[in-house]
Amino acid sequence: MVSVDAQTETEMPTVTVDGTEIEVPDGATVLQACELAGKEIPRFCYHERLSIAGNCRMCLVEVKPGPPKPQASCALPATHGQEIRTDSEMVKKAREGVMEFLLINHPLDCPICDQGGECDLQDQSVAYGRGGSRYHENKRAVTEKYMGPLIKTIMTRCIHCTRCVRFSEEVAGVDEIGALYRGEDMQITTYLEHATKHELSANVIDLCPVGALTSRPYAYEARPWELKKTLGIDVSDAMGSNIRIDVRGREVLRVLPRNNDDVNEEWLSDKARWQVDGLTRRRLDRVWIRRDGKLQPAAWDQAFGMIASAAKGGSVAAMAGDLLDCETMFAARRLVNAAGSQLLESRQTGMSYPAGNLAAVNFNSTFAGIETADAVLIVGSHVRWEAPLLNVRLRKAAKRGAKIFIVGPHWEPTYRAEFLGEDASVLHDLPDHVAAAMQGAARPAIIVGAGGLVAGAHGPALALAHAWNVVRDADGVRWNGFNVLHMAAARMGALMLGFARPRGLAELVQAAPAVLLSLGADEMDYAPFAGSLKVYIGHHGDKGATAADIILPASAYTEKAGTYVSTEGRVQFADKAAFAPGDAREDWTILRALADALGVSIGFDSFDQLRTAMVAEVPALGAEGLIDFGPLPAAESAERAGGPIAYPVKDFYLTNPIARASATMQRCSAELLHGEELAEAAE
Amino acid sequence: MSVAQLIKSFTLWEFLKAHRLTLKYFFKPKATINYPYEKNPISPRFRGEHALRRYPNGEERCIACKLCEAVCPALAITIEAEPRDDGSRRTTRYDLDMTKCIYCGFCQEACPVDAIVEGPNLEYSTETREELLYDKAKLLANGDKWERAIAANLEADAPYR
Amino acid sequence: MIPVFEGWGMSYEAAWTVSTIAGILLIALPLMLAVAMVIYVDRKIWAAMALRRGPNVVGPFGLLQSFADGLKVFLQETIVPSAANKGLFLIAPIITFTVALAAWAVVPFNSGAVLADINVGLLYILAVSSLGVYGVVMSGWASNSKYPFFSAMRAAAQMISYEVSIGFILICVVLWAGSFNMNEIVLAQRGHGLGIVNGFVFNLLLFPMWVMFLISSLAETARAPFDLTEAESELVAGYQTEYSSMSFALFWLGEYANVLLMCTLNAVLFFGGWLPPLEIGFLYWIPGFVWLLLKIAFFFFVFSWIKATVPRFRYDQLMRLGWKVFLPLSLAFVVLVSGWLMFTRYGA
Repeated sequence: MVSVDAQTETEMPTVTVDGTEIEVPDGATVLQACELAGKEIPRFCYHERLSIAGNCRMCLVEVKPGPPKPQASCALPATHGQEIRTDSEMVKKAREGVMEFLLINHPLDCPICDQGGECDLQDQSVAYGRGGSRYHENKRAVTEKYMGPLIKTIMTRCIHCTRCVRFSEEVAGVDEIGALYRGEDMQITTYLEHATKHELSANVIDLCPVGALTSRPYAYEARPWELKKTLGIDVSDAMGSNIRIDVRGREVLRVLPRNNDDVNEEWLSDKARWQVDGLTRRRLDRVWIRRDGKLQPAAWDQAFGMIASAAKGGSVAAMAGDLLDCETMFAARRLVNAAGSQLLESRQTGMSYPAGNLAAVNFNSTFAGIETADAVLIVGSHVRWEAPLLNVRLRKAAKRGAKIFIVGPHWEPTYRAEFLGEDASVLHDLPDHVAAAMQGAARPAIIVGAGGLVAGAHGPALALAHAWNVVRDADGVRWNGFNVLHMAAARMGALMLGFARPRGLAELVQAAPAVLLSLGADEMDYAPFAGSLKVYIGHHGDKGATAADIILPASAYTEKAGTYVSTEGRVQFADKAAFAPGDAREDWTILRALADALGVSIGFDSFDQLRTAMVAEVPALGAEGLIDFGPLPAAESAERAGGPIAYPVKDFYLTNPIARASATMQRCSAELLHGEELAEAAE
Repeated sequence: MSVAQLIKSFTLWEFLKAHRLTLKYFFKPKATINYPYEKNPISPRFRGEHALRRYPNGEERCIACKLCEAVCPALAITIEAEPRDDGSRRTTRYDLDMTKCIYCGFCQEACPVDAIVEGPNLEYSTETREELLYDKAKLLANGDKWERAIAANLEADAPYR
Repeated sequence: MIPVFEGWGMSYEAAWTVSTIAGILLIALPLMLAVAMVIYVDRKIWAAMALRRGPNVVGPFGLLQSFADGLKVFLQETIVPSAANKGLFLIAPIITFTVALAAWAVVPFNSGAVLADINVGLLYILAVSSLGVYGVVMSGWASNSKYPFFSAMRAAAQMISYEVSIGFILICVVLWAGSFNMNEIVLAQRGHGLGIVNGFVFNLLLFPMWVMFLISSLAETARAPFDLTEAESELVAGYQTEYSSMSFALFWLGEYANVLLMCTLNAVLFFGGWLPPLEIGFLYWIPGFVWLLLKIAFFFFVFSWIKATVPRFRYDQLMRLGWKVFLPLSLAFVVLVSGWLMFTRYGA
């Protein structure tokens, strides 16, 4: 993709591709010109989101004027009057030749290769290669490399496209992967053969055009043609990454990113990718009731009966978990309201920032927009762990020259950033150069993370936003630089659906409800609710289930269709990929049945009716895309931020019940985050 | 109707001719064989009961590439795989539903390592349907049992492939 | 046999009862055995003409195949369809079977060796074989299923059609023999042909009658090519469709007993029954029942031969043959034969 600024657009060069004249954007390469003309150019090293390497030579085309030899189209700029041929005999021969060379050292072990069926080399050798090889010497063999618990390597298959090297260097921003030696002896490896520790490392699996880097957890599990592909939305963070869920039978085998330039581009965090193997472990697949202090199997009727009799004696409250879809929360809200209560909350850790105006708690710059910011103040957010893909965007902004300041304890950003201090009170006393940079910026942005929200930085940040005038017209485009970065996929939806009391969790504690419906809330402290009947409606046996009096098995995010709102206020729909195990039901059906048990009406009998009712009450949830929350509210000038900032994410790989149940995530956590401690302990 | 036809019809001439023919056949040698005691020769390409073969060192050939599963037009093959302890790609499950199989032989054509083959055995009827749902152990046992015949057949057919 | 038992000191009534029962057993048991073997032979002949081997596994040369089949059928569950008329459904095969056996009462196996030496033996056979269709019709009705029902309708029409001409054919024979008694019919054939050959068939007037009788007996027993009642390509298995186990087996036994009866009638009425083929003294050294058995065996071979040769008729062809060919022909021959007899025997 070539970015073409509206102002600098000059006349577009005209080239001829296979006899068809087309206009291409200035700065396009010959390869892009051919693509625009609808011609398929085979390639291995070229990738739209990475820099141009030009080392695979697969994209050779014939170009006039120029030397009388085929030229690598990916690295050749398109210029006016060029005559490009992709269908000539020379091109065909060139491609066959390159293919033959590539296959000289590539082992023909497709039957045991996990890339088989989705391999660029396989496909292109069928399409552009010769029938057979003329090579009779011994093939090269490369020693195995270790790249960590997610990436399985068979380096003999490597064709030296260097996509993985460029990815880790350019996108991830860590120099973890590189090449040793030269020519035929070139070997791709990690630095000192350590595991890749970056939280986006598994993307090199998708990038690798051959089977050199494949997925370790998915090793030998399935072939691509066996998988049922469902479009879903990731819930491991609040980015709302677009994912494709690959299912065989009832089991989710892997998750791949979908291309969405506005959200996740085509990357995906390792957690989103591999927490899914937790979907088969520690699952709640039957009803449990606590009797004499012990959870015992029970029937739905018994559980509903107990809840109904308990609900007679007092109010009903609901706590929404972090992974919920909007439909579940809406059904719970209808149920709680019908039972005569308003006790709805979603901020499990007790945060109580004002949620009356959603513009003040939204990521207003949007993820794509933050790339263009030229000064960013991050308040209390470990962006790399809370939203790895946002970190990629910030890195892009930094590479363009944006100044980035961080308030909070030190972490390792993948770009140049200045840490201003660990205490939130620094907001009231910013260094002059920071204030000057923010004030002087064309597109200043403030990002308030979870740590900042806990430290009371929301109000002061809002005040700064007003002071620096972050909402403005920038180059004719509306720019809103005030951002709150949530960590829970359900948070924005929950706030839109009113799952926020003015004083937060404390209000629920004070109300001492007779029944507390915990909708997959696994991060909260249940101790204050000792007097309530705690009903856990969720899918994993985690903290919530341990504390619950009654457990009703529900569905995880891959097992139900739903609407999700990302932290940038983007409404997205996900489809159901698999069925929940055992007795587990889709959440809304449990709540609907519970309504009958409580003798109240919640006004819908089907998922479609539920969705219609939800859209009627919150129209913004009806259409996919960004929601406009309106202007920022005025800041409460009296609010003061103070105290040391603490990041809520202690372990990137274990932030939610699914990930905590996942063997892969546990291995990642143990090896990548605590590996050195373990090694020391072993010594 | 001519007189000749009338006479033919009333004398049942055609019937008698037919009976003469059948009587002739009655005394002819039989075209069929005394099956359970005599057997017809079988082509090396005969597609009979399936077997999973091993290498001479006892290592199973199947590498769980799933090409047979993919090519099977009757969807009779189900494979599950995972890395074995030594890291090699092996099946944990190789189920072949002989009641679905149409004996097209695509599986053995697709197999890159000659692991799944259709052997010369055609006498494997069972008393229950369940016995025809073959699992990996059964197929490997078949392979061990028929290996010599299978290897001979493969060799005999090799020049024509 | 009665005098034998009387000689053992029984009263006449007791001796009659015992000897009748003994006679019934003497006929029925070998008949059952014969039916079993005949099914085997039928299959073997049919197979041979199709260049196959036929049953060859159970017992030497597959001889015990029928008994194996019988055992299998005997061990199977009798299934009565839920919508069937249960009583009729179960009675139908019993009727078919019983009637098929009953006809054998008047068959002379040798001079005087007949269970019921009644004056109207032939009429009795006609009457009893007509009853046979009841079993079929009842089974077709009681099955409450459309194919058996169609089959029953066909069977009824077919049997009525051919019994008419059979009746006329038998009248010719009776006229010539001058008696309805089976034994006397046999004896009347002695030296019939030129004084040396035994059998009505060597009579120019009766030969066509025999041909018609043979064909009609195929139709009467619903054998190929007239097996339209169980035409599997149209009616599944006809009236036997809903039957299983022993009730099915009874149909089969009855059917083959009927086939054997028709073979016997062919032999008795046209080929001199238990008489040797030629009127030569030393041939009488061989007992009469052996001659009869040989003749029955020959006719059964003919029946199988036809089955293996001729394809099944269409139903309208069957009806045309019965009503438009056999009926007028047999009627004409009744006139011819009676006229001839009037002329030659009584007219003078």
